[in-house]
Amino acid sequence: MVASIESSPPPGWDGEGLDGLLAAFLPGRLSEIVGPRSSGGGSLLLALLSRTSARGGLVALVDATDALDPLTAERAGLDLRALLWVRCGGRPGSAWSAVDLLARCPGFEIIALDLGAAAGTAPAAWGTRLQRAAEESGAAVIVRTPRHLLGGAAALVVSVRRVRTSWMGMDAPTRLGGLVSEARVLRSRADPRLATPERAWLLEWRT
Amino acid sequence: MTRIACLVVSGADERTQRLLLEMALAHSPSVEDGGPGVVYLDLRGLEKLFGSEEAIARGFLDAVAARGLVGRIGIAGSRAGSRFAARSGESITIIPPGGDARKLGPAPLALLDLDPHTAARFGRWGIRTLGELADLPSRGLAERLGDEGSRLQRLARGEDATPLRLWTPPPIFEESAECPWGVQTLDPLVDLAASLTEMLCERLSRHGLCADAFEWSCRLADRTAHAGRCAPAAPLSDPAAAAALVRASLAAHPPRAAVEDITLRACPVRVTTVQPRFDEPPRPSPRQLTATLARLSALVDARGVGSPTLLDTHRPDTHHILPFTLSPRGGEGRVRGSEVRGIGFALAMHRMRPPKSIEVALTAGTPAHLRAAGLNGRIVATAGPWRISGDWWTDSAYARDEWDVELADGTLCRLAHDSRGWRLEAIYD
Repeated sequence: MVASIESSPPPGWDGEGLDGLLAAFLPGRLSEIVGPRSSGGGSLLLALLSRTSARGGLVALVDATDALDPLTAERAGLDLRALLWVRCGGRPGSAWSAVDLLARCPGFEIIALDLGAAAGTAPAAWGTRLQRAAEESGAAVIVRTPRHLLGGAAALVVSVRRVRTSWMGMDAPTRLGGLVSEARVLRSRADPRLATPERAWLLEWRT
Repeated sequence: MTRIACLVVSGADERTQRLLLEMALAHSPSVEDGGPGVVYLDLRGLEKLFGSEEAIARGFLDAVAARGLVGRIGIAGSRAGSRFAARSGESITIIPPGGDARKLGPAPLALLDLDPHTAARFGRWGIRTLGELADLPSRGLAERLGDEGSRLQRLARGEDATPLRLWTPPPIFEESAECPWGVQTLDPLVDLAASLTEMLCERLSRHGLCADAFEWSCRLADRTAHAGRCAPAAPLSDPAAAAALVRASLAAHPPRAAVEDITLRACPVRVTTVQPRFDEPPRPSPRQLTATLARLSALVDARGVGSPTLLDTHRPDTHHILPFTLSPRGGEGRVRGSEVRGIGFALAMHRMRPPKSIEVALTAGTPAHLRAAGLNGRIVATAGPWRISGDWWTDSAYARDEWDVELADGTLCRLAHDSRGWRLEAIYD
């Protein structure tokens, strides 16, 4: 299950791997993970939730399309008892409202919104509203979306793209083995050095 | 002088025991729960109120018999004496004051509810009855068994100075309101329920209790009933939070007709306050969390808010949603330091719920093109089939082939194929 290719990063790639990237998602800030489907953005969000719950923190996932697979989440190390899962049935409007409600309830370390295929446009001024709520509650509010939605309100924008795919099987492939993602920070108000074009993180996700 | 009555009813379950205790309170203000089917009553000072000991016992037995139960009562100067008398065979057996030691002589030692170690020790000494224990030299017994030995010998002699451990019925936290005119709209009904909730919470606070659930029942104008239940994420007695919870729950499940009366009941629990440690992550306050969960339930659906739990099966996508609760604090499950680095490298999967029916074109038995609503394209890489089956011993057997495919636009999908056709199960992300 556990895989990392941090031991041999190519020149210019960040050697800190996942830890260095996850540390950029700060409490009390609004962050965004941007990337097309199958890019590894959902896995990055799951890694954030898993590590936080493993440390004993409570996390909330607002799932716009009811898409979370609890089995995968548990394999990723997510303590399901520490997860508040809010399923919005494909209604992005309800999903934004749910995040807003949760962001005003201090005590959750991460409040994640996975828009999945339901991503449209963010309601007007919603980014600023969420940013203020995050500041007050101290939670890290993270939005996973195929494209950048929150404008200037997001203190951190991480872009994810897939680099390669691996398959499993003896003679012919019988299962997807995993994929390798490249993550780049497009914006970081807390640490602008993270957003330099030559800095990237190479992450491997396994099925 | 101590006078204790013991009621013995065989085969009493927890509910019957509660009933017996409540009936006993009608015959004596001092009642002790002696375990399943055993109730002790203190008879001191009751002669002028209820008559002789025999009259009190007769009245109690009649009340028990009226509930369809058969019991026997023994009256003596000690618990052990009265219990032995109750088991002697007669419906009412009274040992006169001062006669306990003589009557208890042939009684078995098991009457004292000895622990196995002490019972075995007496067995090795050849002590089988209370009389034999009572006749042992007190000093020698105290030297070998300490205070416990002296206590047991006093009990064997019918000397029971320990007062009854009084049983009191748990308070009922219930509030009702009648609306003879019939409440036809939701707003006044939820306001009424909220005010009842606040009253209940004040009573809970006075007893130092919290509620882990609220239940309501309404009598409707069409002669039917409407009932519901809501549970906070953590036990609470905060009036505002509880009122918000009940308000949201009633709004989510409104009654079908005008309401003529409403009863609200709280399920009380005692909550011990634990001081959080400095190194523990923050947690929501029960009050705020309850209000937030109530609003989320009203916003989406109560069934859509909770914590997932996996079921013990290999069937894909099988889980339950449990109410989200603040589990007790504890560091035993927490991962520290470098161990966290090994967590979180699993490839996430976005499930389609329900799975989407799709059209798949095959080339040499392998998926080559996929067409579905919102997803269309040439398949550039495939892995499969991965055959899974299970539950063949039940009516809900499953068997299918799974394929992992990569579309030309880069989307990684999991497809499933069985007798019902092709379906898009999930998209990897």
